[in-house]
Parts: sequence; structure tokens; C-alpha cells
Amino acid sequence: MSAFPLPGFRETALVDPFEIFVGPIYEQGEPPARSFAFLVDERHVNMRGVIHGGMLMSFADAALGQAVWDATERAPSVTLNMQSQFLKPAKAGEVIQVKPELIRRTRSFVFMRGDFQVAGETVFAATSVWKLLGQD
Amino acid sequence: MSDRPTGIPPEAELASTGGFNKYIGPLYRLPDAEEGAVKRFAFAVADKHMNGAGTVHGGMLMSLADTAMSRTSRLASGARSCSTVSLNCDFVGPGKPGDTIEARVRVTRRSRTLVFLSAELVAGERTLLVATGLWRIAGEV
Repeated sequence: MSAFPLPGFRETALVDPFEIFVGPIYEQGEPPARSFAFLVDERHVNMRGVIHGGMLMSFADAALGQAVWDATERAPSVTLNMQSQFLKPAKAGEVIQVKPELIRRTRSFVFMRGDFQVAGETVFAATSVWKLLGQD
Repeated sequence: MSDRPTGIPPEAELASTGGFNKYIGPLYRLPDAEEGAVKRFAFAVADKHMNGAGTVHGGMLMSLADTAMSRTSRLASGARSCSTVSLNCDFVGPGKPGDTIEARVRVTRRSRTLVFLSAELVAGERTLLVATGLWRIAGEV
């Protein structure tokens, strides 16, 4: 495992091939209060040298999805909607962290959000709606 | 070029020459539709794009939407670069192995500093994702 610049984090066990391909991601804490982080590297940036919006949204979908798992005893679910706000560019070498917040869980939906921070400053925010499969 | 993935037509132009787009790609630009009103971009689904349920990962769909809408912002504004301010995505249906997924992007409004866009991601007749978003024209103060 490559050296990760934040002490106390462990690698998150990922299932989805796309997340493994763009990862790894790291976590600390225990369910349902895990926070997640990843190190921006050269694979993740665009031609201007700042992180691609697609990578931020992919990390958000992965991290908020892990939090949905924590909130539902790992019930199968899918993302129905995600709203993303891009507040400030992040660069290769920076670590992006999020502590997902459960807004509400109903019988068939989970509402989740996260502020994504670099060194305590929010650079990206996302809110997503998840559908629990098999629940009308 | 015979190194194109199945499903990408010969008239497609490579749109991913570096960085994240090249890593997750290749991504292609297809000829415009509706007399230039619709800009089109596409990729052919590969194993690396999938989630654990065997459908295309939402992060990959949002990445294509972001790239296609950013490029369209540049085409509409003439600016060398545009940055995403906000993006709203509805996941309407699953992308599947073997799909060629196409983004169809329209400009809703362009001001001096901003471009408002909408996009639809389709695989053949199936709609996979609909998106609206706001881009800032870089270089403007």
C-alpha cells in the first residue's frame, strides 16, 4: 500500500471496479461515523492541473454510498440524484476529506450530503438521493 | 483508425488526450446534431467503468456529463477554459456492458461570464442520465 499522508486512516474496501480504478480511498472512524479521504494524484487532474469534476463526483458517489451502507445495514441501493457544487479547485498532492452527513432515511430513500475539504476548507459539496432496492 | 472501440463511428474525434479524461477514456466527440444545436460526446463501456452490480458506475456517467458540458461551454463561449460551478444529475436508467454511451448537450443560455447547459446521456433508445449545470467562463473577472 502506498504511503498516505494522513495518520490514522486505513484503506477502504471497495467493490465497484470503477472505484478501484480511480481509487484507492481511505477512511477513519467506525460505522456509522466513518470519514473518507483520498490523495489527488496525476491521474485525477485535467489539462489545467486541477482535479477533474468527474473525479470529485466519483469520490462523492463512493464516499456517500459507503455512508448509505452504514445507515442501512448494507442494504442494496442506487443513486437517484446528485447535486454538486464546485467551490474551489484542488490540485495534485492535496488530500480531500469528507465526513458524510445523513439528512434523512425513509423506508425507501436515503438523503445524504457531504462537505469535501482540503486542510479544513470546503472545496466541493454534494447532496445525493438514494433509492433502497426492493422498497416501493 | 482501427484501434477504436466497437460502437465508436469512424467520424468520431478523440476528445481525451490527457489527464483524467484519458485515464477513464477514451472519450470521443461525435458530429453535431440539429444543425449544431446539440454537441455530442461518447465512450464505449469497458470493464473498468462498471459498478459491483454489473452496470455502469454513476461516477463514470457524471464524468462524461462534466467533460461533455465543459467542452460545450468552451465551444459556446470561445474561451480556452471553463470551470464547473454546479451540476445536477438524475440517474434515470442503468448503463450496460456493450453500450456506447452518448452525451447530447444543449446551451440553455450564455451570458458574458456564465453558460447554462443541459445534457442527456443515452445508450441507443434508452435514457441513462439527465443533467443541468452552470459553467463559469474562465478568464472573465
